[in-house]
Amino acid sequence: MSLLELKNVSKIYGELKALDNVNIHVDQGEWVAIMGPSGSGKSTMMNIIGCMDKPTKGEVLLDGVDISKESSKRLTDIRRDKIGLIFQQFHMVNYLTAVENVMVSQYYHSMPDEQEALEALGRVGLRERARHLPSQLSGGEQQRVCVARALINHPELILADEPTGNLDEANENIVLDLFAQLHKEGTTLIVVTHDPEVAEAAQRTIVLEHGKVAREVINENFGK
Amino acid sequence: MTKRRMFLRMITASLLRRRSRMLIALLSIGIGATILAGLVTIYVDVPRQVGAQFRSYGANMLLLPRDGETLSSEKLSETLQAFPEDTLVGAAPYRYVRLDMTTRQQSFTAAGTDFEQITKTSPYFSIEGAYPSETRQVLVGKEIADTIGVKIGSSMELTYQPVTSSSDRTPEESRVPGASLSGSAEGFGGGMVYASAVLDSEAKIASVTVDVSTQTPEYGGRIAEDEAFLSQLTGRSLPLSLGDGIDALSGATVTSLAVIDALNQATQTTAAAQPKTANFIVTGILTTGGEEEGYLFISLDDMKMMTGEDRLDVAELSVSANVEQLETYAEEIENRHGAVQARLVKRVARSEASVLEKLTALVFLVTLVVLLLTMICVSTTMMAVVSERRREIGLRKALGASDNSIRAEFLGEGLFLGALGGVLGAVLGFVFAQVVSINVFGSSIIFQPLLLPVTVIVSMVIAAVSCLLPIKHAVAIDPAIVLKGE
Ligand SMILES: Nc1ncnc2c1ncn2[C@@H]1O[C@H](COP(=O)(O)OP(=O)(O)OP(=O)(O)O)[C@@H](O)[C@H]1O
Ligand SMILES: [Mg+2]
Repeated sequence: MSLLELKNVSKIYGELKALDNVNIHVDQGEWVAIMGPSGSGKSTMMNIIGCMDKPTKGEVLLDGVDISKESSKRLTDIRRDKIGLIFQQFHMVNYLTAVENVMVSQYYHSMPDEQEALEALGRVGLRERARHLPSQLSGGEQQRVCVARALINHPELILADEPTGNLDEANENIVLDLFAQLHKEGTTLIVVTHDPEVAEAAQRTIVLEHGKVAREVINENFGK
Repeated sequence: MTKRRMFLRMITASLLRRRSRMLIALLSIGIGATILAGLVTIYVDVPRQVGAQFRSYGANMLLLPRDGETLSSEKLSETLQAFPEDTLVGAAPYRYVRLDMTTRQQSFTAAGTDFEQITKTSPYFSIEGAYPSETRQVLVGKEIADTIGVKIGSSMELTYQPVTSSSDRTPEESRVPGASLSGSAEGFGGGMVYASAVLDSEAKIASVTVDVSTQTPEYGGRIAEDEAFLSQLTGRSLPLSLGDGIDALSGATVTSLAVIDALNQATQTTAAAQPKTANFIVTGILTTGGEEEGYLFISLDDMKMMTGEDRLDVAELSVSANVEQLETYAEEIENRHGAVQARLVKRVARSEASVLEKLTALVFLVTLVVLLLTMICVSTTMMAVVSERRREIGLRKALGASDNSIRAEFLGEGLFLGALGGVLGAVLGFVFAQVVSINVFGSSIIFQPLLLPVTVIVSMVIAAVSCLLPIKHAVAIDPAIVLKGE
């Protein structure tokens, strides 16, 4: 069953076509990697899927709803309810502790629940560091907090833009293991990456070039 | 955990953990609130302050005896009942007489007064040394001190010469039991003859003394010592006439007649109407820059002792009231006490009103300007805070924060800062007002209990209004920025 569908989506900045007539289709529960050289339009596409930007042309169907026509207020609601975001620069609110950062996500979504937030941190192996401020955490630990924050509201779709770009090998593996778990639980994952290893963890890789889908590769080795 | 608790936790964390920036915002609100609270306190207190200030320029009302009437200390205190409690700052009585300094053959104007009241009605009096605190002490005006060269601790011998013609009774009216009478008449060769008599309980002459120093010693001059002549006058009622059992001294008929005439014309002099001399110790030298520097000041008790009279020439009053109130009091006093005249010192009363108006307007204007400056300052700081936190705001939006949540959070922080700054400002403002008041007006301020809530609410409103523009900018931040690189 299809969760996300991009139909002839273009994003044009003046002369520049950041996305050029893109057609993509992602099934419920699928784990998709997006690759491509710098400037090929990966982040642009993620912003559109993440309801933070609108395409210049085309339709974006998320759960059957065309989000390319919605008001920004509705987009905020959809993003809050359905999407978990993970960024390369592990953005955290720098004056809130790890557990409070997770709770911020709950706060905007529904109800802050410290217990649940602590459990989510436990899941990413940071139960012990829940009361630390971001400045007291390593980059890898911060990114794991961001993963905990993204999954706390049980989103249907997790969007990760270069989640391992700033991580070492060990932390990269922790994050990938977490993705694998989420995948098993049925969460749909779209992960932008430059790293072939990260892409290989996914079921399918879509390669963008100059704003166009250059090719799609099915990972034969998935789950092995 | 409820949403509200999380909201408060986020706001307080933002303020407490991002100290430096928030401290600046807090400081700007705090300083604004301090100045506001201070000015409002002064504003409220200004009328009292200015009133007190003007009181220090001297009396604003005078009480005088009407023509032909006298004013006694007792009468004065009775009159002062006309003033409601607390409105009367001070009432200084004055009795002016000339006192002679016999050792230097000079005479000075001396005022008998109440020194405790003087400190209230004439606070500008500047004393070197101290006010007299006991009897037989004198405060000397600078001018006198300089001319006669007295110092603190010096002693002065002062004499009061009663003015004998002070009585305005006719000779007939004067002939009352127990009276002392004195009179004069022209004697031999145009020289004056003085005679005094004391009357007994039946208004008959008890004793007679004469002063015939102007008469020829061998003739009329003998009368002063002539018992036979003088004794024939006692036991008689005035007026007397020669021949009616009274014989002239032989060879001094003219002088004898003059003595009888003098007695017939004699009028009453008071019992105390004798020269009175006493020694006074100088306790202080008075500098005022005014005519008071040419006066001696002694206590009212000493003045009574010297003159034998309880009389006041004027009382200077310092009343805490505006012109209209003063006029009402004056009218009331004159209606109730016919013998007393109440006069306003209008110069002081009027300028008080106009200065008050100007000061109030000035403080109001400054308050307004400070309000505006505070708002600009807080707004600028909050603007800087928003731009500093752009990524955080973008992140919050990416995490699903609605525009209203962002507004609420910033407004919450602003109000929290406002409340904190308000409390700070109320406390510091009171201190500020106190310092200003003590330095400018020389008196302390009464704490207004309303100050705290009013300052807190005003600072919260200022903070909220100052946050409006920064909030607008915060809401406009695009969440997509968080997905882009730095
Ligand atoms: N707001 C914008 N205005 C103008 N051009 C933009 C804007 N955002 C992105 N672009 C351009 O669109 C193109 C695609 O950008 P995008 O960020 O999607 O690339 P990317 O594939 O994510 O690259 P990277 O791997 O470096 O992150 C780039 O050439 C970029 O300069
Ligand atoms: Mg990118």
